[in-house]
Amino acid sequence: MYQYNEQDQNLINARVEQYRDQTRRFLAGEIPDEEFRGLRLMNGLYIQRQAPMLRIAVPYGLMNSVQVRKLADITRKYDKNYAHFTTRTNVQLNWPKLEQVPDILAELAEVQMHAIQTSGNCLRNTTTDHFAGIIPEEIEDPRPWCEIIRQWTTLHPEFAYLPRKFKIAVTGGPEDRAASQVHDIGLHLVKNAAGEIGFEVLVGGGLGRTPVIGKVINDFLPKQDLLTYLEAILRVYNLNGRRDNKYKARIKILVNALGIDEFRKLVDAEWQIIRSTELALTDDYIAKIKGYFEPHPYASDAVDGLSVLENQLEDRADFRAWYERNTRAHKVAGYRAVVISLKPHLKPPGDITDVQLDAVADLADTYNFGEIRSTHDQNLVFAHVAAGDLYTLWQSLRDLNLARANIGTLTDMIVCPGFDFCSLANAHTLGVAEQINAKFDDLDYLYDIGDIKLNMSGCINACAHHHVAHIGILGVDKGGEDFYQITLGGSSREDASLGKIIGKAVPQAEVADTIEKILQVYVKNRFEDERFIETVRRIGLVPFKERVYAAVN
Amino acid sequence: MPLLINHAVAEDSWLLVDEDNFTAHINEDIVVPYELFAEQSDSLLNAEGKLGVRINGDQNLDLLLQNLDKLSLIAIEFPAFTDGRGFSFARILRRSGFTGQVRAEGDVTRDRLEYMERCGFDAFAIPADRYSDDILSAFGEVPVHYQGSADDERPIFRQ
Repeated sequence: MYQYNEQDQNLINARVEQYRDQTRRFLAGEIPDEEFRGLRLMNGLYIQRQAPMLRIAVPYGLMNSVQVRKLADITRKYDKNYAHFTTRTNVQLNWPKLEQVPDILAELAEVQMHAIQTSGNCLRNTTTDHFAGIIPEEIEDPRPWCEIIRQWTTLHPEFAYLPRKFKIAVTGGPEDRAASQVHDIGLHLVKNAAGEIGFEVLVGGGLGRTPVIGKVINDFLPKQDLLTYLEAILRVYNLNGRRDNKYKARIKILVNALGIDEFRKLVDAEWQIIRSTELALTDDYIAKIKGYFEPHPYASDAVDGLSVLENQLEDRADFRAWYERNTRAHKVAGYRAVVISLKPHLKPPGDITDVQLDAVADLADTYNFGEIRSTHDQNLVFAHVAAGDLYTLWQSLRDLNLARANIGTLTDMIVCPGFDFCSLANAHTLGVAEQINAKFDDLDYLYDIGDIKLNMSGCINACAHHHVAHIGILGVDKGGEDFYQITLGGSSREDASLGKIIGKAVPQAEVADTIEKILQVYVKNRFEDERFIETVRRIGLVPFKERVYAAVN
Repeated sequence: MPLLINHAVAEDSWLLVDEDNFTAHINEDIVVPYELFAEQSDSLLNAEGKLGVRINGDQNLDLLLQNLDKLSLIAIEFPAFTDGRGFSFARILRRSGFTGQVRAEGDVTRDRLEYMERCGFDAFAIPADRYSDDILSAFGEVPVHYQGSADDERPIFRQ
């Protein structure tokens, strides 16, 4: 993974001191509230319902064990012994004190971490595939490109006061685990007819109040042009994006208003001016960054563990269930990727305690080259576990309540923190998640239902991406009471689509029962091996509507 | 209103005029609003004094870009600190070869000075109630730049 050099370290150290001084001047009354709001947001600090919330950046979801131990330590010292992973693969503290944030940042800087641009109307953390670098079908590892983008976005002087926030995702191959089509910019590594590798560039995707699938602005961008092209898009957006209404300020609104062809003309005109400037990438720089993402020193005898593994899978049905749901193929023989479920029974999705963080760091050192990844789905990944280690790792994770065999199932939900923590939310998402967990605890039933994506957002801002879930749940407020609107048929994957609302919102108490009815329609109508999303696409919404809203006799 | 030019407090040697009084001062060093420049560009460009134009993000920078060699000052207004269009304006002016003064006006306060300077501003009109003598320490708070700046176009990988 990328290691800071002296300049990188100097930059974040200086940023900590800059923020410390901003906090001091705010507390001394020298910076007005509204202005400090902009400054603290750009450094990840929200003022929430009960306390501030600090969002710490995890660039493209990659951490080492030293960093994870530091996070554990910070939750003990400054918070309530737990942290929360988000869909941008970042990590949030729910109870820091505003006065202590500079000290937290100073501690983070010791392990090459920060909270730069994790919020605010600026360039946010770039995300990617949590299986980057280990997928056989991958065209190229996207992470070096994420690092190049990280450096370009960090403290960019021109784009710190954009019309609205701006998010970029990069994928390395045909599979999309980064929801790239619903990002302001989606970058897909592709190979052209001449065999050269470059980027397909999408622009103007997004969720929130107005969900939109991104449109192709460039079907093949040569690699060395990556930053000049991104800068051209950002400059056109900064100058032309709406600033009169924050709900119309995202780039998707501009792209839709102009049309993709007109928007492309503006970008191309700007790009022609800057394409050959100093911002064009050099081969040396690309090679240098790629050097930080070389494959780990895999053991050549890891395949020997496969026969042992075979026996362990025979002996233990519960281990087999975990293996089948929570591990994935690795391109190196004898290795598997393990998804560590942060979706235990009756606990808030994405939460992790200090004890678990420390233990995960130790396990990563023992079994995974000290590497830990956070995922868009709010789980963790050990990407490189030898076959012979899987059983002992599973036992350790099980003891930590981190081995629920539910990855990709109904209870592997993306859920925002909702009303309990967030000042924007109108619905109690965590309570509803518990209700769903309680109702669908039978693993055999979950496995029979199979791959399904359920996301739940506590308000229209759609932090939990409910529009692109197979089953999306949106909390709405009706006269002071929580109701939940249900959408079906969304996807954030390579077949991206937006879910459609099935009818009027249901009361809080009926959410899990409603999902059960939806699943009954699926089970009744599915063809053999047909996944939920495929059945929904084939039969449409009507059978689901009829079942959910049937008159009670 | 204190004016900083190249990190030092300076007297403003420019006179801001409007459509009612510009003819009386046309041969002096004047700053005119964008609309006035758009209407009277011929007479303003042919006058003897130095000419500056004040512009904001809603107005068309192209008109100034067509006349850069005849302008000595461009004042960019920030109607609110959240309005980031001025940063791009300054960047475009400098990369187009403008060597005159680029002045930030409006909601211009300490915590944006460094970014403004990196985008090409060299003069800052700071509201009196937000000015303090230690404001100069805002420049250079973060000494490492991943991106190129107006005074050094090289991003980190070419530095």
